Amino acid sequence: MGVKLESKNGLVVCHIHGEIDINSSPSIKKAFDNLISKKTPKIVINLSRVTYVDSSGLATLVEILKNMRPYGGRMRLTNMSSKIKSLFEITKLEKLFEIMADEEEAVSTFM
Amino acid sequence: MTRSDQSASSRSRKGHKEAKILIKIPSEIRYIKEVWLRILTDLKPYNVDSDTLFDVRLCVEEALRNAVVHGNRSDNRLFVNVSYWIKGADFNIEIENEGSGFDHRIIPDPTTDDNIMKSSGRGVYLLKNLMDSVEFNKTGNVIKMVKHLK
Repeated sequence: MGVKLESKNGLVVCHIHGEIDINSSPSIKKAFDNLISKKTPKIVINLSRVTYVDSSGLATLVEILKNMRPYGGRMRLTNMSSKIKSLFEITKLEKLFEIMADEEEAVSTFM
Repeated sequence: MTRSDQSASSRSRKGHKEAKILIKIPSEIRYIKEVWLRILTDLKPYNVDSDTLFDVRLCVEEALRNAVVHGNRSDNRLFVNVSYWIKGADFNIEIENEGSGFDHRIIPDPTTDDNIMKSSGRGVYLLKNLMDSVEFNKTGNVIKMVKHLK
């Protein structure tokens, strides 16, 4: 698993590679704790190279979102595979997250 | 980890010989990957689609983690017994822990407004939605799941 961060149009875009599960969740949390401590206002997470997410992975993304809310931060998830998107639909997390089809659109329309 | 094959006389939908596989693992998280890898390897000859394999892996991992962590409370003197077999076009798996069990009906619905932001509680909900059948025994220490292979 890897997390690559880049600044784009005044916001941070994160590319996560590999699996978001109970094994990788601590490293993912750590990468985002750093952004949250700096009160990063807008984060786009590109999941195009994420092959697997389990309940711990979903919980990790919920926690990141929860930690951004106190300072008014917003997060968008993009480029999910249809399988991973179905997990967000089943768990109704789709109503919690801003989920968009692609990164470019998410960045260019992030006001 | 110990594994044994119980031979059976019938054959699956694709002509593969059916056998019940038994695996016994200590209550340690590190053994879980070996189990789901073994299962996915055994499913290879059935040409199962990637979404179904994803569901099988996720549900086996979640159920095993529950058995190890919540069922046996990670007590490595206790074991988790796994048995799985293919019958017709269905993958069947039973996972038994040696703990005192639980009532799955009292697990809160993680999709309600009160629970949606919680950091845990989605594992059993995912099993119930991704598998074609999920049953617990009365005590709650045995889970049986069925997934139709596509």
